[in-house]
Amino acid sequence: MRFVDEFRDPALGKVLAGEILGAVDPDRHHKLMEVCGGHTHSIYRYGIDDLLPDNVELVHGPGCPVCVIPLGRVDDGIAIARREEVIFTCFGDMMRVPGSERSLLEAKAAGADVRMVYSPLDALRLAKANPDRQVVFFAIGFETTAPSTALTIMRAKAEGIANFSCLCNHVTIVPPLRALLDSPDLRLDGFIGPGHVATVVGARPFEFIPADHGRPVVISGFEPLDVLQSVLMVLRQLREGRCEVENQYTRVVPYDGNRRALEVMSQVFELRPHFEWRGLGFISQSALRLADAYADFDAERRYEVPGMSVADPKACQCGEVLKGVIKPWECKVFGTACTPEHPIGTCMVSPEGACAAYYNYGRFAREKAVA
Amino acid sequence: MRGGTEIGRRVPDCDGPTGCITCADEATPMEVLKVDAARGLALCADADGRRRTVETALVEPVAGGERLLVHAGTAIARAGVGA
Repeated sequence: MRFVDEFRDPALGKVLAGEILGAVDPDRHHKLMEVCGGHTHSIYRYGIDDLLPDNVELVHGPGCPVCVIPLGRVDDGIAIARREEVIFTCFGDMMRVPGSERSLLEAKAAGADVRMVYSPLDALRLAKANPDRQVVFFAIGFETTAPSTALTIMRAKAEGIANFSCLCNHVTIVPPLRALLDSPDLRLDGFIGPGHVATVVGARPFEFIPADHGRPVVISGFEPLDVLQSVLMVLRQLREGRCEVENQYTRVVPYDGNRRALEVMSQVFELRPHFEWRGLGFISQSALRLADAYADFDAERRYEVPGMSVADPKACQCGEVLKGVIKPWECKVFGTACTPEHPIGTCMVSPEGACAAYYNYGRFAREKAVA
Repeated sequence: MRGGTEIGRRVPDCDGPTGCITCADEATPMEVLKVDAARGLALCADADGRRRTVETALVEPVAGGERLLVHAGTAIARAGVGA
């Protein structure tokens, strides 16, 4: 495939793997966190971890937007979706995330009008086409997705589409990283930074990691050679005693991000005082809600929602997986009670969730190795 | 969601060669086919020829033949080679 094959070249991959072997300090164990679920997916899909030396360990971070949604927010969505007048829209993966009693997909089976959309703009079109119904969009995602929701809400306001609203669950990447770095049960040596979030926010917001925590960060693309090169760049920083934010994904990520995207976000959204993250608990100023100027499009103000904090099922260890404390296969229910067909936890739902990615790509090699 | 996420299908079926456009934190390079500047939209095609209408407000102005990085129906950046 044009423009893609160059970044999946096996020969170049071997060269990079050799350079990594040369750059790594053989007397140290290196624990690097890939923040973004997209990287987790690439690592398992292409077997990147098999190309790394034994003393370079990749730990999966909290950057899968589906995985970090807590049960209570799913319940809030279902409460709205069950209303007679509502067409409830969301991205495909979100439909399968379990709430405390059921998922949106199960709510649909029970009669709720829940529909999958590819973009918030699709939800707005649905509102235009169904003026006698209320169309609610369940917005999830980091700063990569938030501008898309912001533009759609601005469009709804400009066009006077009153039967459209948004249940906003957008989250921001820096606060959970701070929470992880402050966590005593996780020691990390460096970060593979989220390339597409950085497309919007730039590389600058990650400078606190080297400045305050003394850990290197490399903003990375998503093709296998991107990830390998980023691992190499982190290891070189560690070897040379450097500690800074580097940008491997320069072909897309400007150091200062997309200014227009940041402007529309700041116009439409404001920070919530706190938001609950699955596995990480409540984190201050870590999520977005609609600003007062767009209150008419805020589903939380338009409808009564339970707004409850609901504890995860006891068997589920998504929290530890999201924090990188345990690997997916170390969870008690991984691959047995919890599978992509019947997920208990969110990490098994999205293809970018660490458990689903490992279940789909990694387990066979591991099972073979163990056997 | 590339490859189509019909409800209840297994996760791998939703996984295309360049990742998912909307359901997670991924973005896909697409080529601009036709621009509707007045509405801030463009018709774009991905590497497999699948077409979608894309919001272009964050990367305007765009022209036919340009490559954009598209996430959740919105172009978030211009895509260089291999993006």
